[in-house]
Amino acid sequence: MDLFLRDRIKNAEITWPDLVTALNDSTRFNPYCRAHSYFQIFKDLFLSLILDNEIILLDSDFSENELVNLTGYTTFEKFDKQIKVPAIHSKRELIHLVFSNKKNWRLSLFTSGTTGHPKKISHDFKSITRLVKMSEKREENVWGLAYNPTHMAGVQVFFQAAMNGCSIVRLFGLSQDEVLEEIENYQVSHISSTPTFYRLLLPVHKKIESVKRLTSGGEKFKKGVLNELKNVFPNAKISNIYASTEAGALLESYGDTFEVKAVLEKYLRVKDNELLIHNSLIGFREKSEGWYSTGDLVEIVANNPLKFRFVSRKSSLINVGGYNVNPHEVEGIIEEIPGVSAARVYAKENSVLGNIICSEVVLKKKNLNEKEIRSTLQSKLQEYKIPRMINFVDKITTTRTGKISRIN
Amino acid sequence: MLKELRSIINTVLSNRDKKQVDEINESTDLRNDIGMDSLDLAELTVRIEAKYDVDIFKDDIVNTVGEIIKKIDK
Repeated sequence: MDLFLRDRIKNAEITWPDLVTALNDSTRFNPYCRAHSYFQIFKDLFLSLILDNEIILLDSDFSENELVNLTGYTTFEKFDKQIKVPAIHSKRELIHLVFSNKKNWRLSLFTSGTTGHPKKISHDFKSITRLVKMSEKREENVWGLAYNPTHMAGVQVFFQAAMNGCSIVRLFGLSQDEVLEEIENYQVSHISSTPTFYRLLLPVHKKIESVKRLTSGGEKFKKGVLNELKNVFPNAKISNIYASTEAGALLESYGDTFEVKAVLEKYLRVKDNELLIHNSLIGFREKSEGWYSTGDLVEIVANNPLKFRFVSRKSSLINVGGYNVNPHEVEGIIEEIPGVSAARVYAKENSVLGNIICSEVVLKKKNLNEKEIRSTLQSKLQEYKIPRMINFVDKITTTRTGKISRIN
Repeated sequence: MLKELRSIINTVLSNRDKKQVDEINESTDLRNDIGMDSLDLAELTVRIEAKYDVDIFKDDIVNTVGEIIKKIDK
């Protein structure tokens, strides 16, 4: 069977011929993609590529409130349009079509932004596929998708797998036992995920031979986890990827030191320990002149070629298990709740997720409890942005400079 | 202690509007039996730490209620 997608949650196995048929049968396309089903998302991605049309990926769990802030709309029916898909006869032809003529194609997604509001970032085909490697032998690879498919990291996995005609097996949103079953049943050979995902997969009391490659990104790996992973996946090469919503996937390394290859040399520099990326590599939000500040602080290991290690983040973004949360956004939403007079959102170190979001809240009257605030937030924010602990205080803690303190 | 742990577990579950548990025993698995995800586990850690001053996930992953009790009793 030439499997395209296995989605355990939908109890679905979809083959490449099924995909080709579904594309041929498509008569409508909506550039705003907010589907729950992975197959629907991937089908829309293919359609956008075939039609050379922009696609805007929205998380299926965005609240109405978030949707309005991000896009200006709560529903997207009016963007629905009739389409005519050219007849596709085979998987080969489909992949060929994906590569041809990408003049107007853009992929847009949203980033939490370092300050203020979340921002829309658009990438063209070249920037999305920068680290995609292609070869005939890669067609045998089976990719475990352990990221949200509407985030940059998930998009990267989709392109790496789809461009080579591989199979994709959903691992995201499954329990530990289910993940291991899917890896074994479908002989997954490649997995890309966050250190938190790998950490929660452990302990595994057997060896899994099928996996040849583990890629991780978004956070730092702890040594103990790395060693245990090598034990469980004895055939896997383990590498790190540096990617962001703004720049796409940029660098890859086999340890914690990233080496900048000659082709990228002109586009990366380090200033005051911060990694800067030339704007020509950044999505269309930015001007093409000048440099984009990543907020990532690095330590230079060598020059010529440039080698560095990531040390920490400069910005106030909080990394929760590989997902960035903008504390200003969360504070703003809490302060909109009737009865709340002020809120402070901060990071607390956590052994499971690296950091968790906590909040101090000042109430006007003592008539709200933690559960009520969290319930209200559930309709306004994605789950990982919601504080895990709320402390009610009389006054918000500020630092000596009068700034709200972010570390606890 | 089981009773106290159940109450903490139920606080975490109810904060996410998830179904609470009537009974737990030492072999109850946090993820596979109770359905906790990584966000729940993270919250459980903080709440247990607040009460018992032990970070149950500090060195490795705990899977069952019995393993939590062992960490707290250490």
